[in-house]
Amino acid sequence: MFEGKYYNGRTSKGMPAFITLEPNHIRVNWQTDEERGSEIWHLSEIHKSEFNDATTVLEYGNYPRQSIAVFEQGFRKVLEQQYNGAKFLKSNYSAFAKTGLAGLLVGGLSLLALAIVLVVWGIPALAEKAAAHFPEEYERALGEELHEQMMMGQTIDSAKTVALRNYLKALKVESDFPIQVTVVEDDMVNAFAVPGGFIVVHDGILAKMQHHEELAGLLGHEIGHVQLRHSTKALARSLSYYMLASVLFGDLSGIAAVIVDNASTLQNLEYSRSAESDSDKAGLELLAKNNLNPKGMVWLMQRLQSKQPEYLKFISTHPNTSDRIKDLNSQVKAGKYKIDPNPELEAAWAELKAE
Amino acid sequence: MQETSTQQETTVVSRPTLAFKGQGSELFSIEIVNLVLTALTLGLYYPWAKAKKLQYIYRKTELADSPFTFHGTGKEMFIGFIKGLGIFAVLVCVLLYGWSSGDNGVKFLCFALYLFGFLALIPLAIHGMMRYRTSRTSWRGIHMGYRGTLGNMYKVYFTGFFLSVITFGIYSFWFTTNLHKEILGNMRFGSAKFRYIGDGSDLLLINVKGYFLTLFTLGIYSFWWAKDLINFYIDNILIEQDGKYSRLNSSLTGSKYFVLALGNLLILVFTLGLGYAWVVTRTMHAIVNNCEIIGDFNPDALAQTEEEYKNATFEDMADMMDIGIV
Repeated sequence: MFEGKYYNGRTSKGMPAFITLEPNHIRVNWQTDEERGSEIWHLSEIHKSEFNDATTVLEYGNYPRQSIAVFEQGFRKVLEQQYNGAKFLKSNYSAFAKTGLAGLLVGGLSLLALAIVLVVWGIPALAEKAAAHFPEEYERALGEELHEQMMMGQTIDSAKTVALRNYLKALKVESDFPIQVTVVEDDMVNAFAVPGGFIVVHDGILAKMQHHEELAGLLGHEIGHVQLRHSTKALARSLSYYMLASVLFGDLSGIAAVIVDNASTLQNLEYSRSAESDSDKAGLELLAKNNLNPKGMVWLMQRLQSKQPEYLKFISTHPNTSDRIKDLNSQVKAGKYKIDPNPELEAAWAELKAE
Repeated sequence: MQETSTQQETTVVSRPTLAFKGQGSELFSIEIVNLVLTALTLGLYYPWAKAKKLQYIYRKTELADSPFTFHGTGKEMFIGFIKGLGIFAVLVCVLLYGWSSGDNGVKFLCFALYLFGFLALIPLAIHGMMRYRTSRTSWRGIHMGYRGTLGNMYKVYFTGFFLSVITFGIYSFWFTTNLHKEILGNMRFGSAKFRYIGDGSDLLLINVKGYFLTLFTLGIYSFWWAKDLINFYIDNILIEQDGKYSRLNSSLTGSKYFVLALGNLLILVFTLGLGYAWVVTRTMHAIVNNCEIIGDFNPDALAQTEEEYKNATFEDMADMMDIGIV
């Protein structure tokens, strides 16, 4: 027999009670100044009781529930012995808590390791797989939308854009997507590819170029990104992180904002080292296909090299430009290249430079 | 002998002290199971996870040495979660449709519809959440309840919102206190009622003072500012029981809050977020254990007054919209 308090579900007054654990039910004998009574609690109607400490609380029946609170005296132990396996004593959660500090530590650390693996490899790989199977027309439509969004805050240099498009027309290009280039006014030495065949070139990089082969190399590189779907994959990857976070933390309002907002992040997307070197290769191939000097790619890299301060390089996840130059040089040496003058391209280049 | 000691016990009135007795390690052991199951089910387990967490936190929060109970279940909240998700999906579809439409007029209309829909959902979410949360909260078997009407909530919310906009935000302090008045004024704790008596001008003063002192002290005062805001909220809550009023009183100090906030930050940073359970329990400790009830509140004299209510539609909606109240 255990001493405890009985609450009848109608008032908050705790009534002193004696609790007896019978084979198939719990008997609660309560007593106040005015009255006394006895309740029989059938085990099947006792509610699940979790997270108890020195005080064990049990609740019973339909709304409003009756309850008892028993302060230790070994109550919990006897309860568990007597009704071993009863539904109201089961808890998946306390089972884990019983593993103690070591269990928690192991659990926590393995969870952390799992999360890191998932975030670093699992999610990006999955997202890239999904992006690779994205139907072309959807990719084109998505790119169109993103491109339009991005162009809103930019000033388009229409004369240079026309000249650049003429240059591209004179170039032999292979791509699944119709390629559309645009020149925007921006001093930053940069160019980027939007999914679905849209390429944006800053006039800052055009001003720095001295040979048209560099331009051909640049276009080849960006078309490589488009063709190999690097930007779609990178977009999927960055989106997947948001999705993961919102799933884990139950915040859904963020996703819509992210989808709409992603246009702005596209300019800053980072490609992996292998993506960059694959695109460099694509640039070289384009030069070879058009019988242009493969050195164009190397010159292009030299323009890019001057854009970031040396001391920042070691923290950049972007492939080191001098490494890329080294790679390109050895590829140029290894391959056989036929170089022919191309008056059509040169004329287009001259026109572009004159604008 | 036995008889007399029992007699004596019944006449002793329990003191209405508040205490939080949860431990970070216990909550962590719950959260870790929750996290794994939520990840494995691609988020679908979330309502069950939340129910467990709330059940633990309520069970470890005590008034007069008796714990609170959270009766909400994962199933109820899951149904609510799905309904909330549905409403959200419609809004997001409207937004995405507008975004992908070429016509600027359609674009504008869709954005406006999304914003307005979102705005209109907030009072509904608060109302629904209060009804659900209070009805699923009990102490010694006595359930809380919420008697506010949706119409009044909309009135308070939109009046406040409108006046805040046209006064460039100045009215927002009265908006906040009015919202708390509406919410707490309709809360029941069995036969006891709550009332909120915070005044917008006091809140404005706290914020003006907090803003300037934080600037002058290069941010150090921000902890005292935050403490003032918490205490302003708590100290203005009254409990009416049988015609007699008692009051909540928070003795949280700036230095205590500083220790809490700094500790929480360090825990989060050095455990890469895994220590979130300790952040929760530390915060609960700081708030609840520094809170007391002043006056004649008699915890033994509450009577059951509320009907049963189980609709959880807006419990999760409030979560999705980041509404954190009470």
